[in-house]
Amino acid sequence: MADSSGTTLMDLITADAPPPPSAASSTSSSATVSSTVASQPYQPQQVSSKTSLGERKSRRSSLLQIQSDTISAAKAALNPVRANIIPHHSQKQKKKPVSYAQLARSIHELAATSDQKSSQKQLVHHVFPKLAVYNSVDPSLAPSLLMLNQQCEDRSVLRYVYYYLARILADTGSQGLSPGGGIPTPNWDALADIDAVGGVTRADVVPRIVNQLTTEAMNSDVEFHARRLQALKALTYAPSSNTEILSKLYEIVFDILDKVADVPQKKKGMFGKGADKESIIRSNLQYAALSALRRLPLDPGNPAFLHRAVQGISFADPVAVRHSLEIISELAARDPYAVAMALGKLAAPGGALQDVLHLHDVLARVSLAKLCHSISRARALDERPDIRSQFNSVLYQLLLDPSERVCFEAILCILGKYDNTERTEERATGWYRLTREILKLPEPPSSSKDKSQKTRRPQPLIKLVMRRLESSFRSFSRPVLHAAARVVQEMGKSRAAAFAVGLQDIDEGVHVNSFSDTADSLDSDMNDDSHPEGIRKATSVSNLVGGKDTIASMLASLMEVVRTTVACECVYVRGMVIKALIWMQSPYESFDELKSIIASELSDPAWPATLLNDVLITLHARFKATPDMAVTLLEIARIFATKVPGKIDADVLQLLWKTCLVGAGPEGKHTALEAVTIVLDLPPPQPGSMSGFTSVDMVSASDPKSALALQRLVQAAVWFLGENANYAASEYAWESATPPGTALMMLDADKMVAAASSRNPTLAGALTRLQRCAFSGSWEVRILAAQALTTIAFRSGEPFRLQIYEFLHTLAQGGVQSQLSEMHLSNGEDQGASGTGLGALITPMIKVLDEIYAAQDDLSKEIRNHDNANKEWTDDELKKLYETHERLLDLVSLFCYVPRAKYLPLGPISAKLIDIYRTRHNISASTGLSDPAVATGISELIYESKPAPVEPDTLDDDLVSAWAANLGDAPAMNRVNEFLAGAGTDAPDVDEENIISRPSVSYDDMWAKTLLEAPELEEDDVRSSGSSSPESTGSVETSISSHFGGMNYPSLFSSKPSTYGASQTSERSRGGRFNSSSMSEGLGSPIREEPPPYSSPDRYESFENPLAGRGSQSFESQDDERVSSGNPKSGTALYDFTAGGDDELSLTAGEEVEIDYEVDGWFHVKKKRPGRDGKLAGLVPVLYVNQS
Amino acid sequence: MLMAVLISNSVGNILVERFNGVPSEERLHWRSFLVKLGADNLQRASNEELFVASHKSVHIVYTVLGDVCIYIVGKDAYDELALAEVMFVITSLIKDACKKSPTERLFLDKYGKICLCLDEIFWKGIVENTNKERIKRLTRLKPPGEF
Repeated sequence: MADSSGTTLMDLITADAPPPPSAASSTSSSATVSSTVASQPYQPQQVSSKTSLGERKSRRSSLLQIQSDTISAAKAALNPVRANIIPHHSQKQKKKPVSYAQLARSIHELAATSDQKSSQKQLVHHVFPKLAVYNSVDPSLAPSLLMLNQQCEDRSVLRYVYYYLARILADTGSQGLSPGGGIPTPNWDALADIDAVGGVTRADVVPRIVNQLTTEAMNSDVEFHARRLQALKALTYAPSSNTEILSKLYEIVFDILDKVADVPQKKKGMFGKGADKESIIRSNLQYAALSALRRLPLDPGNPAFLHRAVQGISFADPVAVRHSLEIISELAARDPYAVAMALGKLAAPGGALQDVLHLHDVLARVSLAKLCHSISRARALDERPDIRSQFNSVLYQLLLDPSERVCFEAILCILGKYDNTERTEERATGWYRLTREILKLPEPPSSSKDKSQKTRRPQPLIKLVMRRLESSFRSFSRPVLHAAARVVQEMGKSRAAAFAVGLQDIDEGVHVNSFSDTADSLDSDMNDDSHPEGIRKATSVSNLVGGKDTIASMLASLMEVVRTTVACECVYVRGMVIKALIWMQSPYESFDELKSIIASELSDPAWPATLLNDVLITLHARFKATPDMAVTLLEIARIFATKVPGKIDADVLQLLWKTCLVGAGPEGKHTALEAVTIVLDLPPPQPGSMSGFTSVDMVSASDPKSALALQRLVQAAVWFLGENANYAASEYAWESATPPGTALMMLDADKMVAAASSRNPTLAGALTRLQRCAFSGSWEVRILAAQALTTIAFRSGEPFRLQIYEFLHTLAQGGVQSQLSEMHLSNGEDQGASGTGLGALITPMIKVLDEIYAAQDDLSKEIRNHDNANKEWTDDELKKLYETHERLLDLVSLFCYVPRAKYLPLGPISAKLIDIYRTRHNISASTGLSDPAVATGISELIYESKPAPVEPDTLDDDLVSAWAANLGDAPAMNRVNEFLAGAGTDAPDVDEENIISRPSVSYDDMWAKTLLEAPELEEDDVRSSGSSSPESTGSVETSISSHFGGMNYPSLFSSKPSTYGASQTSERSRGGRFNSSSMSEGLGSPIREEPPPYSSPDRYESFENPLAGRGSQSFESQDDERVSSGNPKSGTALYDFTAGGDDELSLTAGEEVEIDYEVDGWFHVKKKRPGRDGKLAGLVPVLYVNQS
Repeated sequence: MLMAVLISNSVGNILVERFNGVPSEERLHWRSFLVKLGADNLQRASNEELFVASHKSVHIVYTVLGDVCIYIVGKDAYDELALAEVMFVITSLIKDACKKSPTERLFLDKYGKICLCLDEIFWKGIVENTNKERIKRLTRLKPPGEF
């Protein structure tokens, strides 16, 4: 970019300038410099022409030397230089660039003759404008600039001099990259260090510049005051890290304010006519001082600072007033009480704040709105309702502001949106305020001021706002439309919050005018966030005063206008409108319209991926605000999956699925799962076999990229289904009351399917889809489907397990596909096991199932024997039984997570016997035989006859209830929290204490845990005891998927890679990996739709990491352990980074990386999975990675 | 915070850029993002027609004026509408400086003057003057209020 821009800018330099002969002589540059800067093609190579001046040991002396040299050089070479620079308009020669060196040289030379008109003219018209093109200014120019500053009288020259001095001050120097743009310049300090430019660095010149500017800024000479203003301004450019300059600036600013701020001001309108010189100069100085103060860091505790800022509100200069309001509103956000006290009478009717309402400066009024908001909502001012209502009334008046910017700011303030810290109560009160309060204009102090006062009746805020928004939506200006849509979105957020905190009795059918008369009583009450009841009481005293508008009807008409705005051709406006619609969507209304809008919108290829993902995240945020909408939102998310699979981030979508599934509640789970499985139906096996979306789906998957993305989505969905189907269907083997009835087992497959689907349609539906995937999907999908089926088989009771068992058998044997009708839908691939190639994969799964069934048969035989013979079970028999139980449990745990304490591979009938044995031998249910205490027999010694301690069984079938604990960061999640509190769960052990003492069961832990431990996770293990927890189970599927480069997806369950056999026991003892630090970031962290300030771009971390980062660690983890035996540092990508070269690696913000080593400001990092460019390792800039 | 003001020519070469509070490693991304926005949308746009975009919490307003494209990026108080006001000031000053809708040549000829104007419109990420007359006075080193 810089290079190409250089071409054009060089063009400027060439403008009218003939080839300078002097340049040729100065090209005797040292080779070092050329090579240093050679990398930048438009580098002013001849900078080094100064070497003749500069080869000196001492910088100080060189500085002085430059000045004297330039003078003499200028005097000697004045004529030739002038000939060089003065354009030869007559002869249009071939243009060659004027080098930076020439410009610099000209400045030195012309500075010496600055008293001459021609020199001034050259400087203003040729030298300075061209110098502006370079993106930084060489510090060695400073002496000449300072000389010009002292000696030149010409205003235009001086203005440029201040400009360049400011730029030298501002230049941080380290990168040589000041925010100047234009042609890149070298790092002057670095050049100076190698003594090429004459050894002048910023450090040398900055003190001199500061001194001179300080002197000027303190010069109280009236004639000088214009320069004084500019000098002060230039000083503020100094980086705020320089405390010395800062303290100097404070001193100057307060010194000026001491002299000019206290003089009583005349009223506004003094400008131009009739104002005396003295007051104008005062006003100018006030402006300059406040403008400098605004750029200085806030000094919150300093009463003088506040005092001066408050005085600024009464200043005559509008910009000064704006600055002072901005300062005060920032201070008010920190200490509203002090600010309110300092403002005192200014806020009263007729005070200076009222004058700001009429000030012709939009940003000043915006700051006023913020200030009023901060003070009127301040809890610190609870004792002073009078002050709060004063500010409140000013805020409401701003709703009438002619500028949209101000009006919208006022609306946002009323809605409780102040900064990005979202507090639901604040938002809810905001909505309440907007819908209930009345704007009563205060009596104008003088009747002449407002002629229209008679026509101004008290108006309900909502009415004003709605009218204003509606008219804004009719605007043709895109910024206005975008801003208006944003305001509606914020309205939606506040409304959702109001519903969430239980202000449901907000009756949107009430006539808005009915509150008019209660306005006064509300004024004080309203501000109190914590007493919505009080507010309600007040409003219930409504008396009907004409008017037919209800909130509902006004909202409806507003939303109608909003919807039409979707037709805007600007995709960003449309995106904002859709977000607004999503937020305004009420859970109780039909969302067909929204759905169709989104569906038709997404068909537009113009949508950038980031914007679409933004909308997805909005769905997420919407869900967090109103969990009731889970199903609705999933339906919407489905549209994204089907319409734009190539553009959306599968991880974000999955997270949405997951949270919605959890939040959907018992009755919504089926629909939620259906919404996910719809993805599996894409692309349809045969065109036309599906209705509705078919044609679009075919299109969307037609190009290779989106086909690939769709593939990923399908994989994600398959995995998701396998892991979560049991949860969604509420079907668990360990809950199943009915034993595997023999009658059921004798059914043939078709009947079994029928029985299954009648018993649990949700699970049956999931199974059917998975079975189809196991046949017809791609290789990866088939693997995942087989794994998913196995997981469900282990977790489900009968007849599902049997159904899957038979299916897997069929799959392994092949050739019987005709039995399965779904297979006809296959997309033409070879069907049957030979075609699926899954034989090797599913054989071990079938083996385990075989063993389970065999063991169950044995057990029922044994039981029958015992019953028939009427004999007791001996300890040995029990032991054998228990060992079988444990062995099967271990085997099952290799495939998927099951709660060890509850899971009964031998079927429910074994429960009693196993329990007997456990009690007898003091075996903890969750640890089993692998407990060292049990293994060595110690437990029996310790506990003797005492009953075995019951370990809190925190992981049971209602895992979700516990996991949801961390979801509940928003009050909107009350519902989940209630669920957690124990209602309807059989998880008595999940009490508060448990959750605290064992953070392992929180939702995000489970999340992270699913995502399979990377080496560092395991190192983080802090659980010391040898007792392993029920979570310590292994899973073979993870290692399988790692083998095939498969993916791992979040699950309500967890699994853990492990190997068969020997290592198993040792694996088990890692029960405490939940405590690893990584768990803190996870799903549970607040997912805010509104991003935090730009400065923290890692906001997606909270939900991208678990997915994108750790989510796929499994398939690398094994390699890692081998390859990098050390402990590599890990980090997180802070920003997106696009690889610029072969050895570089593209990053996506939030991505987890492993840092191998650092070299020259670059990290060599490894990613957990290949990114867009398919690379796993490469170089990224250090600054892009946050080391953890 | 006014994060960036960029002026590019019609083919996307950056003529002027003023960043504030944007780490240098991010500037490249902003440049390419903005230039791409312009390339996608400004081709058939009429002079001074305002376009809007957003990225996370950052607002962007951009327009085309003669041969140059102007992009302004802001956050917090500088939302679309505030940026639109700033844009209005910038375009009208550029027009005044160039006497008409600028060609690239004209713009480059007036480069120094435009830089001075920009310097009066905002600095250190904070908008300063929006009054055209006032800005012109200040660029000629005259105080804002003359007697």
